[in-house]
Amino acid sequence: MIAELGHLFAFLALASAMSQAVLGLTTGGETVRRLAVASGMLTLLAFAALIVVFVRLDFSVALVASHSHSLKPILYRVAGAWGNHEGSMLLWCVIMAGYGAVGALTMRADALRDKALGVQGLLTTASLAYLLFASSPFLRLDPAPLDGGGLNPLLQDPALALHPPFLYLGYVGFSFVFSIAAAGLILGRIDRDWARRTRPWALAAWSALTIGISLGAIWAYYELGWGGWWFWDPVENASFMPWLVGAALVHSLIVTQKRGGMAAWTAFLAVLAFCLSILGAFLVRSGVLTSVHAFAVDPERGLLLLIGLAAAGGGAFSLYAWRAPKLMAGPEFDPVSREGALILNNLFLSVAAALVLLGTVLPLFGQAMGVTLSIGEPYFQLTLAPMMAVLLLFLPFAQASTWRKTEIKPLAKRLVLAAGLAFAAGLLAFFLFRQSLWLMFGIVVGAWVVAGVITDFVRRVGAGGVGRMGKLSGSVWGMTIAHVGMGLFVIGAATETAARQDQTFVLLPGEQAEMDGRTFRFDGVREIEGPNYYATEGRITVTRDGKSEVMTPQKRYYPVAGTPTTEVAIRKTPGGDVYVALGDPVREAPGAWRIRISHHPLIDWVFGGAGLIALGGFMALAARRRKEADVKTEAPASSGPTGADRPVGAVA
Amino acid sequence: MIAALAMAIAVGADTPLPDAGEEARAQGLMREIRCVVCENEPVSQSTADIAVDMRRTIRSQVEQGASDGEVRTYFSDRYGQFVLFRPPARGLGILLWIFPFALLAAAGGVIAMRAVRGRRAGLTPLPDDRLDGDGG
Repeated sequence: MIAELGHLFAFLALASAMSQAVLGLTTGGETVRRLAVASGMLTLLAFAALIVVFVRLDFSVALVASHSHSLKPILYRVAGAWGNHEGSMLLWCVIMAGYGAVGALTMRADALRDKALGVQGLLTTASLAYLLFASSPFLRLDPAPLDGGGLNPLLQDPALALHPPFLYLGYVGFSFVFSIAAAGLILGRIDRDWARRTRPWALAAWSALTIGISLGAIWAYYELGWGGWWFWDPVENASFMPWLVGAALVHSLIVTQKRGGMAAWTAFLAVLAFCLSILGAFLVRSGVLTSVHAFAVDPERGLLLLIGLAAAGGGAFSLYAWRAPKLMAGPEFDPVSREGALILNNLFLSVAAALVLLGTVLPLFGQAMGVTLSIGEPYFQLTLAPMMAVLLLFLPFAQASTWRKTEIKPLAKRLVLAAGLAFAAGLLAFFLFRQSLWLMFGIVVGAWVVAGVITDFVRRVGAGGVGRMGKLSGSVWGMTIAHVGMGLFVIGAATETAARQDQTFVLLPGEQAEMDGRTFRFDGVREIEGPNYYATEGRITVTRDGKSEVMTPQKRYYPVAGTPTTEVAIRKTPGGDVYVALGDPVREAPGAWRIRISHHPLIDWVFGGAGLIALGGFMALAARRRKEADVKTEAPASSGPTGADRPVGAVA
Repeated sequence: MIAALAMAIAVGADTPLPDAGEEARAQGLMREIRCVVCENEPVSQSTADIAVDMRRTIRSQVEQGASDGEVRTYFSDRYGQFVLFRPPARGLGILLWIFPFALLAAAGGVIAMRAVRGRRAGLTPLPDDRLDGDGG
């Protein structure tokens, strides 16, 4: 019954989204707003129905039967609702319609809002139609099986349960950015007001995407059992491309909002970010790529996604080609200025996105031509890493720059101390890890960014001290925190990549191994039983400077799915993680086990840095909303306050 | 991945080379060479039997004084370019090494040319030229 109700809600949502699209793009008005809210509510109800079906383990629903099991803990019963293709497509629809509903409730009533809601309605219609006619999650099975097939045990993990919702809040969040951009292009209004209203959505989507990607990386780090967190896997790249374009977008929007410049380019990025999101969905879902992350694959659905991409991208870029030449340039500026710095930022980030795109799709073209290519970490380390390093060298200058024209000399003087600190950090790294120039360079870049950004923050605080810090705008705080996060990330990633230690030992009970000043004594294994798995647990006593502790890595076996997983044991230390994974028993030597011991230096800086980047994004977003509220109370002007008075437009 | 885990009853241990420099070089190569039966994994990460063998081969070649290039060639001769995570700058691979930098140079060049032209024209002074950056 509940499944049918969910199905019905989804159909009603489809009807609502269609009306929203038609009315939004034609007459507009209050009805569009109501319809957008209705579409959001109805998809949410459909999704709630699916979750209920999953929690109640209704195995007469085909999706539940193939993806859940009675022995599964409650969290994963809920998460099971989106841990499969159909359910995740419904999540996609919920988030898309949800962004539309929130937009309807918060945006100022005018033509831009109505058109944006109309385009969002169009996208939601297409997504819901795809859901209902190509991958419905509500189909029944007759007869119903007694129990389900279980969820892939690799996915039974808290980080991974939350990974898709955040990833989609990011991916699909760009749909609303896309819609506002399309609306602006339809109306010929890509101006400062447009940018002011687009920016919160771009910040929200991009920050959520940052969290989503980080959760996936954290999961890979401890669940896949070899301590890697980023593999340059095509599926990861598929999420990294919209992230890079989104990063460029949140920066270029600043220029458009504050100065009216780069309007055409900003609109281009706003459209592109969502197109790359659909491309990502296509690459992941169509099965053209194989990856450690793709858990739901179907080639026929891939074709439909490709058609969707062609329609959305084709439509938006045609609009763009029609309107962009008419957008005028913003006010003039000297190349050495904040505008110039942000253009540089966009140049590097866009080329980086193109590079990742090439590295992801070229093997596919290669396959078609009969050439097999593998593109992995060494390639990106040699190409993308230096490119990003150059960009980051400019960051402290950019952050301290002023609009229109920047006097470089006083600015450079202020940064002398930061440069000295970065140089000192690099020297220190060189003496600590002699062999790695790559590591030293990473640390210099990261330290330079952190020190430079803090220097700028101190200048902004000025003599006002702590009292002044509270008065700084949320966007200054957001920028500072995100950029510091970036610097810490670079230091962590460089150290972790270059100085990680990793070795597999074969140990009999009682034998010990050594790494990095620690002794690891293997005390044997024992069998234990979990709620829906059996496990072999190894016991390893780690001793350092006379102090001992016990680590207990496991190998789990989930009988329902028939697959093993590794549960590593991780011990946090100030310098990084001690990481122990239980391998397999060694046949030739009864009682001996293969044990993988690693040291991952500064790994928390990698995830912490990424977290700060997301936090910075959300802070800038919160600041924007507060400011907007202030403006509204001061002057309840309904017309765009800044849009009409200034010629606006194209730079790039 | 799952297949790799399931059949991961491999033989032999990963004994590091006595010389730290050689071991570091071998580990670098292990990160570059792809495990031929796994999905997207270099041999450094994989627990598959063949990856263990490949690691042993890399170590013994490095120990015998083979250069990085010789080790790469050894594997690509046997398994094709597929085995190299760092694609060679040949054939389709050339695109990978040239395109990003060409794009950066071209787009950067266009922007720089505009900037130079703009700079030559100079800025018209504004009555109130105190616009300060506040990041957002």
